[in-house]
Amino acid sequence: MTNQLVVQISFAIYALLIVGGGLWAVLDKSLIRALVGLILTLFGVAGMYLLMAAPLIALMQLLIYVGAVVVLIFFAIMLTRAPAGGEECDKPDVRQLILALLGALAPAAALGFAIHKYAKAAREVASEIAPAVLGKVFLEPYVLAFELISVVLFVAMAGAVLLGFERRRAK
Amino acid sequence: MSDMVLFQLTALALLAIGLFGMLSRRSLVGMLICVELMLNGAGLSIVSASQFSGTGEALGQAAALLVMGLAAAEATLVLVIILVVAKRFGNAESSAVSILKG
Repeated sequence: MTNQLVVQISFAIYALLIVGGGLWAVLDKSLIRALVGLILTLFGVAGMYLLMAAPLIALMQLLIYVGAVVVLIFFAIMLTRAPAGGEECDKPDVRQLILALLGALAPAAALGFAIHKYAKAAREVASEIAPAVLGKVFLEPYVLAFELISVVLFVAMAGAVLLGFERRRAK
Repeated sequence: MSDMVLFQLTALALLAIGLFGMLSRRSLVGMLICVELMLNGAGLSIVSASQFSGTGEALGQAAALLVMGLAAAEATLVLVIILVVAKRFGNAESSAVSILKG
């Protein structure tokens, strides 16, 4: 069936984007290029949301992550005046790299085993839900979580402004 | 392998890559990038679990949106923390803030 083939090919492309972009984001010496790797990963994840029949989440992923978070990180890089070659120019510590690899692989192996053993999909085809259903979830049973997330966002923004001002006053 | 396992494995790869970067990066901005990678993995895992298991797709998608909101709030705060650290210590590396005053 050609439809299935298209899905498989696009899944492979998105997975490649995610893993390749992630490795790029983690391994590149220059932070700006690492950020480009992160953007690739974000686009790959958005594509996966599309494949899972969740187009609204894919759109939000692009809006929030690529539109806002990446710009924030770019500002962080810009305002901390990273040296042109990046801050990670000195020789990498091989022992630290090996330990980091071990530390990353240990939980991944445990979780991978759990997925392999226990993850059973109840169905093979994901169904798309209307945005109105999602809106009802946010406004009826989970209205507290919805309001709390806006409070958290407000507190984060207010705290950011406060810290920024304090920095200037201390000068 | 079912579709869900493939999606979960991709999310797991994101988690592993992010953890590795978190442990090996030296600059705070690099660590922030790795946190975003891991949070993306979490969102992907939540949405795929809810989309393929038939237990409330709307709930899973709402949870993913909440994760995104938390990630945005966290990125804002970490940005300012990095700015303060860069201002006080001269550079934004994790080794610069490893000494406690006591």
